[in-house]
Amino acid sequence: MTKISKKFPGVEWIEGTGDFIKIDKNKCSGCANCIRVCLAGCFEIFEKTARIISLDECMECASCWYACSEDAIQFFWPLGGTGYKCEWG
Amino acid sequence: MEKNFDVIVIGAGFGGSVAAKLCSDAGLKTLLLERSENVGDKVISGLTIPFQGFLFAPTYIRDGNPPFERPSDGIDNYIIKDIDKGDIYVDNSLKVPKPLSPIISFGYNTYCKPFCQWLSRKAIDAGVELRTSTTVIDFIKEDGTIRGILTDKGENIRSKIIINSEGSQGLLAIKAGMRKKYPPETISLADTYDYVMSKKDIDKIFGFSVKMCWGWDEQKIAPPLGYGNGLMVWPYRNSLHFMQDQCLRMDEKKVPNLKKVFNEYHHNITSKLSWWRDLVSPRIKLRARTWEGFEIYVGLDKNLRKLPKITDGMILIGDVAGLESTELCDGVPAAWFSAEIAAGVAIEAIKANNASKLFLKRYTERISRHPIIQWSISGINRYNLRLAQQEHSFKTLKKYIHNGWGLGTLSSFTTPFLQLLFLYIRKDPNIITKWIKMYFRYFQNWLHENFDYGHQDSENDIAHKKITKKETSFLFFLRIIDRITKKLIGMKKMQNLIVIPLANSMNRCLEIILPIFEPIYSLFLKLTYPIRNKLSKKLISFVDGANPSLFSI
Repeated sequence: MTKISKKFPGVEWIEGTGDFIKIDKNKCSGCANCIRVCLAGCFEIFEKTARIISLDECMECASCWYACSEDAIQFFWPLGGTGYKCEWG
Repeated sequence: MEKNFDVIVIGAGFGGSVAAKLCSDAGLKTLLLERSENVGDKVISGLTIPFQGFLFAPTYIRDGNPPFERPSDGIDNYIIKDIDKGDIYVDNSLKVPKPLSPIISFGYNTYCKPFCQWLSRKAIDAGVELRTSTTVIDFIKEDGTIRGILTDKGENIRSKIIINSEGSQGLLAIKAGMRKKYPPETISLADTYDYVMSKKDIDKIFGFSVKMCWGWDEQKIAPPLGYGNGLMVWPYRNSLHFMQDQCLRMDEKKVPNLKKVFNEYHHNITSKLSWWRDLVSPRIKLRARTWEGFEIYVGLDKNLRKLPKITDGMILIGDVAGLESTELCDGVPAAWFSAEIAAGVAIEAIKANNASKLFLKRYTERISRHPIIQWSISGINRYNLRLAQQEHSFKTLKKYIHNGWGLGTLSSFTTPFLQLLFLYIRKDPNIITKWIKMYFRYFQNWLHENFDYGHQDSENDIAHKKITKKETSFLFFLRIIDRITKKLIGMKKMQNLIVIPLANSMNRCLEIILPIFEPIYSLFLKLTYPIRNKLSKKLISFVDGANPSLFSI
């Protein structure tokens, strides 16, 4: 199954990625760096730590992983053949 | 289930497919793994592959028919002092002049997807087994040596050596204990917009030039100076690519709200910059928006630069080896060069039955001796733009832009370019004519949309025409060049006493000469424009109608 987004034309997301981004609540300081760098809006702050709203529009850029000053974000590639795809890259 | 290969290549991007093909050409059983469903599904564009990439690329790229979108004859730099008052300075000095332009071009604007697919098909044709939809999740390690990979499908696949071209994040290289996560200030998030626009409009508004915009931070028309790119617009065949990108951290622990500021820059530039607002906006339609994080200043950090590129059983190439260009933000040439070097070392390692770190060290040494790779990972003009902002000195800003993306770039690029050029000429005395044929063939392919694996131009009956007088003269001209080159190669003393020392000191010479030469050159271009334009039309018409066999190798 694939999904599209009105916000980001020209991109499709294939389901079945697995949890390729995880947040370690114990490490998260709630600095919100992940929220500020994520153009897809995948994160929010809930009870003073970050949590994932949805990875449905994630472009797998890994910016959240780079920007996390506490190393609280684990990032690995989605399962093969899943996640975002674009014809115009 | 366990399988064995001589070589496993991870990632079918610009580097991976090249390394895989070259290994397979040497008779090695090669597996190429790609995590996306189709090659090129997860790449983003906004790309000019510069000419040095093609000149010094593996021969099948130089001598082939790769798909690209538009030749690029140079850069128009818009240095925006005050967007509201329209106070804009233009530096368009880095441009191939007519009549050579656009046939002899500065580079080729390219969608990454079709180009990567072209490369992967070349690899398959060479006997490589390509497996897509396969994510490598870890390595098989025995006695500290990497012996294979584990996939997300639960497969263990063994090989004598692995070439890793997974891309800039380097997640597997980190897992292997070779690299570490780069600091956010070395990473840029590239936000790209793909717009459909008619070829006729692009020809008229852009021609063959990439447009770059730079502005004081307070103008908010582009990312802050020195913290990523300004703003770049690439003209393609029937579309435009607009890119803005910014480092993930600008000050200690402070990450900008990119979601907010990217929208702000995009709105400001597209509504206030007159040529975009009046000429481009009414003629475009947004087709896609994507983004990607990539390394931008990794090469400038001494410690990151020293991170290993090899371990027992594995070689890293391209972006994962930290070889992204700091000025051009274009890692394709370095990916090709490092892929070719890695394939060569892998072939030697398998022959010697030794893939130890000690043996593979020769890869790191060859990379560190490669003049253009070293030039591309050490350019500091883009990084220094932050100093121009701090000083708020227009003179300094102009200088860095001129030295990075204007004619001033010759004073840092010429020596490494000539060093490699002479090396290639000595290896192949006919290479100059192969380069000339490449430029002409590429341009003819572009005119007729004739690329490998693509549709064949039905009007391309010119292939069956008789050779004309002009074409005979062209072939004669090439033969003369070959003869002269062969003679010059024989003159070893002259090379050692004059040519090589001159090439080595060329950067320094140009630093002195360019300020005097540039105004004279500029006046010359103005005065000769009508005649150069006329000649250009004749040359394009010749390439358009010439028998393609003239330009094939």
